[in-house]
Amino acid sequence: MNTTNSQPPATNFSAWGWLIFWAGALAYLPTLLTERALFGMALSNTQLLNLGLTQINLMLISMLGALSLNYLTGCAGLISIGHAAFFATGAMAAAIFDNQLGWPFPLVLLACGLSGALVGTLAGLPSLRVRGLYFVLSTLAVHYVVAYVFLEYQFKFFDVVGIPYAAPRIGDFELNTPVRWYAFLLPLVVLVYLGLKASLQSREGLAMRAMRDHELAATSVGVDVRILRLKAFGLSSAIASVGGALFAYYLSNVTSEAFNISFAIQFIAMIIIGGMGSLPGSLVGAAIWLLLPSIIGGLSPQSNEDGGFIGKMLVENRAQLVQLIFSLLVIVFLIFAPDGVAGLARNLKNRIAAWRQRP
Amino acid sequence: MFEQVFFSGLALGSIYGLVALGFAVIFKATDVFNFAQGMFVVCGAYLAVTAISILQLPFPLAIVFIVGAAALLGVLIHMALIQPLLGRPMLSVIMLTIALSIALRALIEMIFGPQGRSLTTPMPTGVLMLGSVRISYLHLTAALVSWACMAGFGLFFRFTSVGLLMRASADSHEAAVVSGVNVNTMNRLAWAIGSTLAAVGGLFLGQLQIASTELEGIGLLALPAVVIGGMQSIPGAIVGGLLVGIIEQMASTYISPKSSDIVIYVLLLLILMVRPWGLFGQKELGRV
Repeated sequence: MNTTNSQPPATNFSAWGWLIFWAGALAYLPTLLTERALFGMALSNTQLLNLGLTQINLMLISMLGALSLNYLTGCAGLISIGHAAFFATGAMAAAIFDNQLGWPFPLVLLACGLSGALVGTLAGLPSLRVRGLYFVLSTLAVHYVVAYVFLEYQFKFFDVVGIPYAAPRIGDFELNTPVRWYAFLLPLVVLVYLGLKASLQSREGLAMRAMRDHELAATSVGVDVRILRLKAFGLSSAIASVGGALFAYYLSNVTSEAFNISFAIQFIAMIIIGGMGSLPGSLVGAAIWLLLPSIIGGLSPQSNEDGGFIGKMLVENRAQLVQLIFSLLVIVFLIFAPDGVAGLARNLKNRIAAWRQRP
Repeated sequence: MFEQVFFSGLALGSIYGLVALGFAVIFKATDVFNFAQGMFVVCGAYLAVTAISILQLPFPLAIVFIVGAAALLGVLIHMALIQPLLGRPMLSVIMLTIALSIALRALIEMIFGPQGRSLTTPMPTGVLMLGSVRISYLHLTAALVSWACMAGFGLFFRFTSVGLLMRASADSHEAAVVSGVNVNTMNRLAWAIGSTLAAVGGLFLGQLQIASTELEGIGLLALPAVVIGGMQSIPGAIVGGLLVGIIEQMASTYISPKSSDIVIYVLLLLILMVRPWGLFGQKELGRV
């Protein structure tokens, strides 16, 4: 513990340096990915890991889901396998308020957040009565209820092809290109991240983590765990719901199929890979989850030249291979690194600190 | 009409009951809420495809193959994946079984292709007329075999010494260890039983419909079945399975085909709110 406190003052400067570096890198990223060149030096697809701005944008949207789920599960200790339901709520709310009522986009987002908070609080109600495994099952049941409502809604007002979404506009700024989406999503994710971080450091955030670690002890020092649970659920699902609305807008057409149970499971996988209870971990987890498929896909043309069994596998069963690699990744993390990437990073940091302090 | 729906619900419900029984055995023994149970059903169906269509084994030998391979799968999973996670938080274990089911699905689709395979066994087909009710022999066989399996395992747990040891180690790990029971072996046995029961369910479901990874969804209906029956109760799992089968058939006939899932899950939600310990479970005393 002492190691972190007794760091030289130079760290402060280097922290600012890193911040500027990252801000610069993130600002330069769209140019890099659209012009496919680094400061005028052309890069091949493989050198760019086969990534495009679309994947980055989808990753940013998924980061909203991963952050909100990690807030709920990792920090408040409430396990939910119904997170897709809140994404679906957001997509549905966007269809109601935008397609049917014609509200302006910022208002629609606000309405999506509010309806997500409402549905989330309702979904959190069983937490007043049941806990542990029973609560997990109630979130699963909520998932099926919302999925059914979404299906009925889609077939009543739209048709089999799904709900179409027009490109949203804020004033004159229409979100119709990946670069513009990036410019909109990146600040949003940063904002949500900082907001959640501040909320965790606030009085209620501390109470929430106390509730996660020991419910009885938290109650005995005057924390009302019932209210706190509903609040955590409401906030988390509001964020997920905004994420769902943005997801729908970005894809410009969604069906009820999009928000199935695997959609919810992918967020759990993200926070397990990233690290339970760690907000930066959720970002890393979402990045790995969204970017790895295209990286694996990027390998296939090369391995195809070698022919061979693996190359053939890559071409014929790419989807299955990605699924297999992901599930094995999750299993490996669960068994060997239960604290995810965040835990690994912490270990590494401690080791380096210990190594530096060696005489 | 009503009797017709009722009987096909009962037949399907028997299979669900069988799968749910396997689920409950695993849960009771190792406290693992096994989301891969649906995938075990799929594995059973594809093991049947392997044994009957690909290896072309004679039917009795094929049954031995399916049961043996499914049991081996259960034991291997317990050894390689469940044991290392002993004492970890619930979400880790749940997520492990989910990841396992995704991995199994990917493997099956890579080996057998993503399309379903039809499965034919020498089990009797055709229709038995009972008054105005048509019962297919396949449904009847499925129900009878399921009942036989359930009764067999009921007797096994109740009257054999191994069954007694299994119940003892499920009741209290520590007490069983102190009394010299090899709890690990008992847990492995529980996983073998659980996956075998699911595989037998898969054998029937594969023939009633088609052997494909879509059977996972049907297999997962064991979850609400177990909760409705009461998670700690073996008879509860069976009754829950029957109820889910009947309700599913009733809902898809009388309300709408799309609504069968929602009716079951709303029932699950109601049970959770009113009687979380299920119809047959024992009320647990919780902390605060």
